[in-house]
Amino acid sequence: MVDPSITPPTETTRPGRTAAVSPERPRLFTWRDFVIPLVVAAAVGAEVYYLNTADLSKIVEAQMTFDRIMDSTVEHIQLALAVTGLVLAIAIPLGVAVTRVRWLEPVALLVANTGQAVPSIGLVAIVALLWDIGFWPVVVALTLFAVLPVLRNTIVGLDQIDLGIKDAARGMGMSPSGVLFRVELPLAVPVIAAGARTALVLAVATIPIGYFVGAGGLGDQLMQGIKLSRNQQMFAAALFVACLALILDWLGGVVERLLTPAGIR
Amino acid sequence: MTRGRRVYATAFAAVVGLAATGLAGCGLEEKDETTDVEAGSVDPTALEGVTVTVGSKDFDEQLIIGQLTLQMLSAAGADVVDETNIQGTNASRQALVTGAVDVYWDYTGTGWINHLGHDEPIPDTQELYEAVRQEDLEENGLVWGQYAPMNNTYALAVTQEFSDENDITTSSDMAEFAAANPDEATVCLESEFAGRPDGWDGFQRAYGMSIPDGNITEVGTGVVYTELDKGERCNFGEVFTTDGRIAALDLVPLEDDKSFFPIYAVCPIVTEETDNEHPEILEVLAPLAETLDTETMTELNAQKSAEGLKEEDIARDYLQEQGFIE
Repeated sequence: MVDPSITPPTETTRPGRTAAVSPERPRLFTWRDFVIPLVVAAAVGAEVYYLNTADLSKIVEAQMTFDRIMDSTVEHIQLALAVTGLVLAIAIPLGVAVTRVRWLEPVALLVANTGQAVPSIGLVAIVALLWDIGFWPVVVALTLFAVLPVLRNTIVGLDQIDLGIKDAARGMGMSPSGVLFRVELPLAVPVIAAGARTALVLAVATIPIGYFVGAGGLGDQLMQGIKLSRNQQMFAAALFVACLALILDWLGGVVERLLTPAGIR
Repeated sequence: MTRGRRVYATAFAAVVGLAATGLAGCGLEEKDETTDVEAGSVDPTALEGVTVTVGSKDFDEQLIIGQLTLQMLSAAGADVVDETNIQGTNASRQALVTGAVDVYWDYTGTGWINHLGHDEPIPDTQELYEAVRQEDLEENGLVWGQYAPMNNTYALAVTQEFSDENDITTSSDMAEFAAANPDEATVCLESEFAGRPDGWDGFQRAYGMSIPDGNITEVGTGVVYTELDKGERCNFGEVFTTDGRIAALDLVPLEDDKSFFPIYAVCPIVTEETDNEHPEILEVLAPLAETLDTETMTELNAQKSAEGLKEEDIARDYLQEQGFIE
């Protein structure tokens, strides 16, 4: 006889199934996620409209043409991505190494802290003196500057993982590298990503310093506006740099959202 | 942590904090008391009892002019305060406008384009001086004093070797070279020159050049000289004609044979109130200004940039030579 109090398993209540079809599962992206891009688009649009219609000084008109601004913005993005890529390539492996080889921690953190404590313009000057001017020396200098947040966050992100989880993974037969790549790093993604986004924003905002050694980017327009006391140009360039930082940070957030494993999203 | 430990830790932190703050002051030296001078041909009573704060920008020529001013005014009996070495043109001008300094020297070209916001340069020296003097007085209440006949304007320069190899001594030679060897026509500029109408664009137009943007590297002012010297990134560079590094690095400024670059004279500037209360300030500085021609200024700059002498000593020696002070 079937006991009426026992309900047979159905699609939605079978044990072991995650909430893949549960209606309460949050969507990956909501409308709130698009506020930042919209605000940025509005700000850029307003500034472009202003530059096209307002009574500009001839110098500003000649310097803030669409071509020049686009070239500078592209250079700026290239610099920012190069710095971020280099920072991630250095800081994440280093962070992992530090959690394995504990005595590395004070050494690594000392270097990273110094990199951020030394004034960025001094870093750029030192690297330019010892090496060369141009794109890559500025990238290296700014990498030294931005390594700290990512390194710190990698260490913290990996350290705060419950030891029981790692134990369980080993117990399931995973190799140490398996534990690292399939358990530890995915769990640490939110913290690491937060550090990476900080580094990216720092990089974008500090790139204008590289102007002095010919790095390019929107720093050219910004510094020129400052030197020539042309406020319209100064403001426009600064606004574009800020918008660029916001957009890249937003993209970082999107990437973070996509990389975070479903279980902890 | 136990309570005792916590108290100890707090006390320790407080002591370290105070010590660090106190020690932070140790790095600062007292400014040199080098403005004790005896008047020569300067009237020692002209500015007796008057306190004058002297500002200047942060590059060598301005530092030397600042020291010359300090010592001249001190010889005239003033109590001088040294606020030279202000970072940047804008900050220097602002210091005068807000009253942080009483006098500083600026260039007529810079005044016309940067401060007064004009886009078209005036090629004639005297006309430019008068236009700037009039407008700055009317609009901003600033008085420009007697200008020095020196010409610190822009020039394109090359290294001595490059000049010898390719027989380039004038800007027209540069135009010919650029037309014949477009790949080797690489230029280092700094951004102010690149943006000004009396700068790169106008220069190219005047000499019929059109060097592609890819051949141009924009860097900070000082880096132009070192990059030119290195010779890898640019063969031509934008320099200031009285800069001491031209001599130090054996550079050859190209002659402006089409007279494109305006002549930028340097003048002391004070506010209207200062001039009304103490017209002697500009009067005392006028004879000094008259002696500073291009050769003299370049020579003084070279003493600093090339020989590394201190600006106070350079100023003192020069003023003694000229008989302004004992």
